[in-house]
Amino acid sequence: MIQEVLVMTKDGIPDNKGDEVLYEIRQALGINSVEKVRTAKVFRFEGIDEDAAYFLAVRLLAEEIFQSFRVNGAVINDAAFVIEVAYRPGVMNPEAASLMKSASDLGVDGLIAADSSWQYGFYGEKITGADIERIVNNLLVNATVEYVVKEKPETLVIQGNPGRTEIVPIRGMNDQQLIELSRDKLFLNLEEMKVIQNYFSSLGRDPTDCEIEIIAQTWSEHCGHKTFKARLIVDGKEKKPLLKRLRDATEESKHPLVLSAFVDNSGVMDFYDGMAICGKVETHNSPSAIEPYGGAMTGSGGVFRDIVGTGLGAKVIASTDMFCFAPPDLPAEEIPPGCLHPHYLLRRAIAGIRDYGNRIGIPTNNGSLHFHRDFRAKPTVIAGSYGILPAAACQKGQPKPGDRVIAMGGRTGRDGIHGATFSSGEMTDRTIDVNASAVQIGHPIEEKRMFDAILTARDEGLIRAITDCGAGGFASAVGEMGAETGARIALDLAPLKYPGLSPWEILLSESQERMVLSVAPEHVERLFEICRDNNVEITVLGEFTSDGHFSATYEGREVMNLDMSFLHGGLPQRVLNAAWKRPSLDAHQIETPADWPGLYKKVMGHLNICSKDPIVRMYDHGVQGTCALPPFTGVHGDGPNDAAIITPILGMPYGMVIAHGLNPVLNLIDPYYGSIWAAAEAVSNAVACGANPAEITLIDNFIWPFPDEEQLGALDMAVDACVDFVRATGMPFISGKDSLSSTYRGKDGTVIRIPPVLCVSAFGRIPDAAKTVSADFKATGSHIVLFGYRDTKEMAGSVYCQIHGALGSNLPRINPDNLMRVLKTLYRAVGSGKLQACHDISEGGLAVALAEMCFGGDTGAVINIPEDEDAVNFLFNETAGCFLAEVSAGLNPAAIFGDIPCRIIGVTSTDKSITVKQSEEELFTLELGELKTAWQQPMKEVFR
Amino acid sequence: MKKPGVCVLRADGINCDEETYHAFENAGAECAMVHINQLRRGEKKLSGYQILALPGGFSYGDDVHSGKILAVELISFLKEQLMEFVNKGKLIIGICNGFQVLARTGLLPYRRLGEIKTTLMVNSSNHFECRWVNLLVESTRCVFTRGMAGRVISVQVANGGGKFYTTPDTLQDIEDQGLVVFRYAGNDGSPTLSYPANPNGSLNAIAGICDSTGRIMGMMPHPERCVGKTQHPNWRRLPDDISLCCREIFNNAVEYARQM
Repeated sequence: MIQEVLVMTKDGIPDNKGDEVLYEIRQALGINSVEKVRTAKVFRFEGIDEDAAYFLAVRLLAEEIFQSFRVNGAVINDAAFVIEVAYRPGVMNPEAASLMKSASDLGVDGLIAADSSWQYGFYGEKITGADIERIVNNLLVNATVEYVVKEKPETLVIQGNPGRTEIVPIRGMNDQQLIELSRDKLFLNLEEMKVIQNYFSSLGRDPTDCEIEIIAQTWSEHCGHKTFKARLIVDGKEKKPLLKRLRDATEESKHPLVLSAFVDNSGVMDFYDGMAICGKVETHNSPSAIEPYGGAMTGSGGVFRDIVGTGLGAKVIASTDMFCFAPPDLPAEEIPPGCLHPHYLLRRAIAGIRDYGNRIGIPTNNGSLHFHRDFRAKPTVIAGSYGILPAAACQKGQPKPGDRVIAMGGRTGRDGIHGATFSSGEMTDRTIDVNASAVQIGHPIEEKRMFDAILTARDEGLIRAITDCGAGGFASAVGEMGAETGARIALDLAPLKYPGLSPWEILLSESQERMVLSVAPEHVERLFEICRDNNVEITVLGEFTSDGHFSATYEGREVMNLDMSFLHGGLPQRVLNAAWKRPSLDAHQIETPADWPGLYKKVMGHLNICSKDPIVRMYDHGVQGTCALPPFTGVHGDGPNDAAIITPILGMPYGMVIAHGLNPVLNLIDPYYGSIWAAAEAVSNAVACGANPAEITLIDNFIWPFPDEEQLGALDMAVDACVDFVRATGMPFISGKDSLSSTYRGKDGTVIRIPPVLCVSAFGRIPDAAKTVSADFKATGSHIVLFGYRDTKEMAGSVYCQIHGALGSNLPRINPDNLMRVLKTLYRAVGSGKLQACHDISEGGLAVALAEMCFGGDTGAVINIPEDEDAVNFLFNETAGCFLAEVSAGLNPAAIFGDIPCRIIGVTSTDKSITVKQSEEELFTLELGELKTAWQQPMKEVFR
Repeated sequence: MKKPGVCVLRADGINCDEETYHAFENAGAECAMVHINQLRRGEKKLSGYQILALPGGFSYGDDVHSGKILAVELISFLKEQLMEFVNKGKLIIGICNGFQVLARTGLLPYRRLGEIKTTLMVNSSNHFECRWVNLLVESTRCVFTRGMAGRVISVQVANGGGKFYTTPDTLQDIEDQGLVVFRYAGNDGSPTLSYPANPNGSLNAIAGICDSTGRIMGMMPHPERCVGKTQHPNWRRLPDDISLCCREIFNNAVEYARQM
């Protein structure tokens, strides 16, 4: 029998969780019939008696100071409706293991299983069943992972018998049957299916399901990068494949600090004192689209494992997050079927990043949010991660035949089956139904203790090679590690979360928090000890061989035996046509505004510009004690900065800078200059704080609509922009990823494409973090200096234009050579200590940068627009690579900035307002407080 | 002179161990990372150290209640060692999750293992809060804040469950006994109940307490994150002594332990 303990906050003590749900019911759903919400935690135990449950309630579950409890009885008795929400069986509730552990610590015997869930009591006489249904479906329950508990479960133990390994009779299939086999499951095209068919015909046998699945997974767009590797015909002429272009540019840059580029789970550059730093940025768009909390969590967890799986193991020292959503106030009827509302997506994705990063103890200190209506097709969820490791351990390891294949960390469940193939498919109205198993809830504590064990093992020299068990699970991790040697594993040895997995599911499962290691036999025993000390599960799955085959057994029978050469080399190279058509866009109209303050406030309150403070405050950006430039600084701690600087070796002055740039809207106008802008913005953010442009490396992330001819043409231009940027600046891309499936296709023929996203991340080293600068004004009476190259007429794509309803076509065309001259000069200027503050001009333009510097310094400013400039253009042009700096009044800017265009545009003032003049005539004055309110309000409305 | 030994306790989900280690080493101590498994198996003993530091993090995921699972583990397996440590007059500091653990073991405020008299609840905002706050240092017999009474220090909070809460009787008692070490303060330096200066909604603006000997202290904010110049967010605009004020907490502990 199941024992139930229900715990709730005592009467008279605020029920925070209930209050938050009530707030969301009113704010997000607009339901006013609910007057009060009370919550109760439900604990269930199997295998113990009622006395033992009572004992646990007193000693573990309920805290008498503020809670009351009942064993096997209801605690919410007077509500109009009571709803219980639990994780679906098979979605592992991380709390269950802690309940088991603590019960054991308390000496409670016989416990077989435990679980927890939440009850919600809704109060209010006018609540209707329809209200409850909306609350349940739109707020409380994500049906992919949760369900409403209607009756007490009879058992908490998940049972099941493993399925058999099936033979797939591929040799006898016609084209139609091959297409059917691929659809919703393999996501391969007919040509690829035929290559598989031919391979097995030549072997004289049909494949097992394991074999078909692993090929589909390895050949998926997500893992195989077929588009980036394809032969590309652009406007009728063949060009180098996209991936090759990027890698060649990196190679040609011969950057002296690059230690490992594109070959490992992250890119590595030199740091100081024999240490190296590494970076990786990943997307998790598809899972986040259907379950944003779990999707964002596992996105973070996965990119952290990429860092730990770099070289022979790195320590994770920073996390970043970049999101693109539709506006959170988009009317519900505009959300396509099968897609979730952006308000929900935004709140839940941020909660996922928060809960994973904070719990694992990795500071999240850089990120951004972008909004465009067409992201309703699919959100863009980007998570980055950075690490540090000894330079001597930074090269990717190579298994030796005879090394053990070791699985570490979490157990294998039916999680994320088909995640890799699913991520490569487009969103459709069937997406949520078909691919529900592609999401799971992350378990950061499991990952943290695994990381602790790995770093100890690395320091003891026990690891020959290591990789993350991410998309594609064991299939991908072991298959890639053993590509040069061969590997043989026994699938039945893998520890499972619950029985009932078929061999192919064990092979393909994307359960999180697992890593695969190659370890010499003589080190295995010590590694087991380290794992025991850290409460980490470890298993020898098999060994690396020298036969060039990837084989697997289950209970002694062979269920897979493939040539590594076919698995990794059999995928036919695609030939793709690309042709971008310049959209016919109306020229933007610039009019002198009748209401300057109104316009200024509107720009500050634009979703892309407004303060993200409520989000930043939910992320722990101080853990590890390394933060030398946090997201916000200044008198009131609310002035935003351009980049993050951390000092990853405590007690040493060495800094690491982390920044990024993206501007999807510009890519709609011109993907080449939009992409240059993204790269320019990323490095400008880094250098604005004092980083040396000669010591910065880059990471690319392309998040694109499905690459049809047109979109591929855009992608081709974006890649060319990246290559040109590397050539001009010498800053190489050393890691990157593409995700080319952000198109939505509805049943009714609706097609929605997201604006193409190139996110460029930049990281670098700084010898002394104490010689860096923040964006907040430090004094009054200082000169405000504008410097950099810009043609202010290039207004297209600006927030000003978006507010006025036209994109325009004349977008900023940044010259990377000029940019590099600006950056070098800026670096010297910061190093000389002559800049009190510096801020990069980006979205919203000079006006926004100025206001943000004033917020930080709690000062005002008086600026004067040059006579020959249009006032609107001057204030709201968004050319990246231009900066505002605070310079003491006595200094001559030309002496600092040399031949870079620069001018004093104004002074900081004690009067807390911003005054803008032209030809000494006042255009307007606006109170700083009023401007700040406009800037802070939008996110305060989304996040209580 | 021999350096005082600090046991920095690790367990699943503890994640502020390295900066806590650094803060104590910086103050002149010799630190050891000790996993609770090593104490349970007897490979290491608390008696080998003068200071026990319980760092921040999410021990065991903060499942059930923050710090609860670790508190139960400590009471279940290390009761004698802990009481011996306390009775010998040694020092214990719990920061953030460590404070939650100390409260849930009963070591704070009354040194009675298993008797929970104060608690840290989920924040009034119902979510994680990471921000710099002002703390007023009260005049107490707390060893860790000697010479700091009356000062207002700047320190970061980062927690989801830091709302200090207790019954009216206990609250009265700890106030009467002078056990409140830190209170959240507004810009004028006086204690405040208003958000976000009081980020958790703590009763009487309490951010940290000690026991009656002043040798056991727990606090929600993270002083170990601000012992070096560039760790304060506004080090570029403030004098060094403001961004280094948290050092004194560790210096005081090490100095006291040196006299043992």
